[in-house]
Amino acid sequence: MAATTGMMEVRALIEEIAKALVDIPEEVIVREIQGEQVTVLELKVAPSDLGKVIGKQGRTARSIRTLLGATGMKLNRRFTLEILE
Amino acid sequence: MSQRKYTIAKIGARTEEFLKRILPLMGVNVRFEITEGEELHPGFENPEIRVKFSGHDVPDLLENKAEVLLALEHLTMEALRIPFEDHSRICFDANDHRMLRIEELRQSAVTAAERVRDSKRPFRFNPMNSRERRIIHLALRDFKEVRSESEGFEPRRNVVIYPEGMPSQPASAPPPMRRGRR
Repeated sequence: MAATTGMMEVRALIEEIAKALVDIPEEVIVREIQGEQVTVLELKVAPSDLGKVIGKQGRTARSIRTLLGATGMKLNRRFTLEILE
Repeated sequence: MSQRKYTIAKIGARTEEFLKRILPLMGVNVRFEITEGEELHPGFENPEIRVKFSGHDVPDLLENKAEVLLALEHLTMEALRIPFEDHSRICFDANDHRMLRIEELRQSAVTAAERVRDSKRPFRFNPMNSRERRIIHLALRDFKEVRSESEGFEPRRNVVIYPEGMPSQPASAPPPMRRGRR
C-alpha cells in the first residue's frame, strides 16, 4: 500500500516539476511503466518545451534525475526518467 | 542596495509555492526560510536571496556534495525563469554547507597556487560547476605568480593553474555533439 502511494507520488513529482518548467503545462504527460527492478517514467512535453526540461548541457534534466534518484532511495526503488523527443 | 535585482517581494512567493509543491512529493521532511541580502562571503558570493533549509532530512539534501540541494536550486531558478547569468544571486543552503565549501575552495586554491609557483608545473583541479570555478578564479585574482583558466567541456570543465608566463596546454578535445546542447 505504502509503496503504491509512493509510486503515484513519484509520477506526480515529475509532473509538477515539468509543469513548472514549461510554457505549455497542459501538454505535459507523464507515463509510468513498472518493471520488476526499475520503474520507468516517460515524460512528454510540447516540442517547443523540450529545451526547457533538458536545459543547457542537459543540466535541468540531470537535476530532475537527481531528485528522482533521491526520492527513489526513500522508497527503496529505482526509477529512470525518459524524456521523449 | 538600490541595484538589487531580486527581492522577497519579487520572487519569494513563487519560490515558496514551487518548493512546497515539490518537497512533500519527494518525501523529505525539511523546513525552509527565505531571507534577503546577507553577506555570505564578501567578494565571493553575495546572494540577494538565500533559501535556508533546516529540519530532520537536511542530510538527504547534502549527500553527495549537496547534489539534491543544488538540483532543487537549479530547478527552482529555471521554474522562476531566472536567467543563467543571475543564478549566483540566489543561494540555497543548509547547515552553512555552501559557506564552508567556499572556504574549502579558497584554501585549496591557495595551496595549489603555491605548489604551482614552487614547482613551475601546472595543476589541474577536478571538474567543478561554474560557480565553484568562479570562486577559485576569484581566490587567485591577486596571486601574481600564477594564472588560472577553465578548460574542457561541461559537465567536466575544470580549472587549471599555470605558472605565470607558461602557455595553456588544453588537455582534451571537445566531446561529440550530444542531446541537450540546445
